[in-house]
Amino acid sequence: MQRLVKTLVLVSIILGFSLILTIAPEYFIPGEAVRPLAVFYLSTTFNPWIPHLTVNSPEAVTAIVWDYRGLDTLFETAVFYLALIAGIALARGVSIKAEPGNGVGLTVIVKTVTKITAPMVVSVGASIGLHGHLTPGGGFQGGATIAVIPLIIIVTFSIFFVIGRGVTKEKMLVLRSIGLVGIGLTALAALIVGLALGKTAYVFQNMAKPTSEVSLPAYFNGSLISGTLWFFNLFEMIAVAAGFTIAFLLLTYPEKKEGENT
Amino acid sequence: MISIDFINTYLLSVVVFSLLLNFALSIYGIFYRPHYIKKIIALTVLSDTANTFAIYIGYRRWASGGNTNPRPPVIPTTEITPGVLSEFVARSVDPLPQALVLTAVVIGLAVTIFLVFLGHQLFNHYKTLDMRRIKKLKE
Repeated sequence: MQRLVKTLVLVSIILGFSLILTIAPEYFIPGEAVRPLAVFYLSTTFNPWIPHLTVNSPEAVTAIVWDYRGLDTLFETAVFYLALIAGIALARGVSIKAEPGNGVGLTVIVKTVTKITAPMVVSVGASIGLHGHLTPGGGFQGGATIAVIPLIIIVTFSIFFVIGRGVTKEKMLVLRSIGLVGIGLTALAALIVGLALGKTAYVFQNMAKPTSEVSLPAYFNGSLISGTLWFFNLFEMIAVAAGFTIAFLLLTYPEKKEGENT
Repeated sequence: MISIDFINTYLLSVVVFSLLLNFALSIYGIFYRPHYIKKIIALTVLSDTANTFAIYIGYRRWASGGNTNPRPPVIPTTEITPGVLSEFVARSVDPLPQALVLTAVVIGLAVTIFLVFLGHQLFNHYKTLDMRRIKKLKE
């Protein structure tokens, strides 16, 4: 087995070298044109002249993630949720056994720098998440950025500080559930509006379609929110930030008393 | 005189080769490194390589003799005109691989979180994460 893998690695390196020297410039270099499907996505992502096909979002990637292929992203969120549930189930016996000692955490310099940068990182994360329909970014990226802060505070201050401030596993689980329920409700929003008005509408509908005239507002108070995209990004950001915080909390629980090593 | 087109082709070839090398190295890491954490690191390198390859497939070569560079699939303005839209469609890279990679990154992170928790349980059970020693303990 080991010999086979070793041979495979060697053969793939040699094949890669020969590929680069011979046929790569002809076949493995992208062309000057993109696929017809990409042209469709690019030309309809923010196109006020085709009101029945557009998403009204200048960011084509977010438009694909939450509108054209929204069901994919819903199940991706489900996979993330299930993996975290599996993690919590594996860590079911984990509890804090150590006592908060004196002088826990790093030095005053590190603590002060953390206090200054923490609000900045949170606001940058919120900006990435909530402007996901306008600029590169989105709910997941914003949430992952925000989740850095609990980890830094655990390292610099200690886990007892974080739990003492009310950031417990149970509260984060509630926050995460709120985010997931919000994603579900946003997915059903157009259907609920359609049922209330007695018109045809679909699950995961955002803007008006040729067979359905129900449309969520693309502009709110003069600024572009792209219908459901803003809400999807908001709830995904909450769910991801809370989910990562749960994982970091469970992985950093001190399970041994101070000085105990076995 | 080296043309921009040649440099483009050369650099993109280097990217393809680095991806293949990365792929081989990560497979080596998954199979050969005895430590559980090293295996997880190699797995993330493998998934990142696959993601980079997907993005590379959606890339666009510099057009018209290397003078027009491709752009990210984001319209830089909210006041759109037909001119802005046609220039965007003519120059932007393919957004679909990027959206699929975003999905793959999230699922990869979910799998990594699960594997880390599994490693935590393994360590609690066997008091080691070295696969050679765990194999001996089992027998």
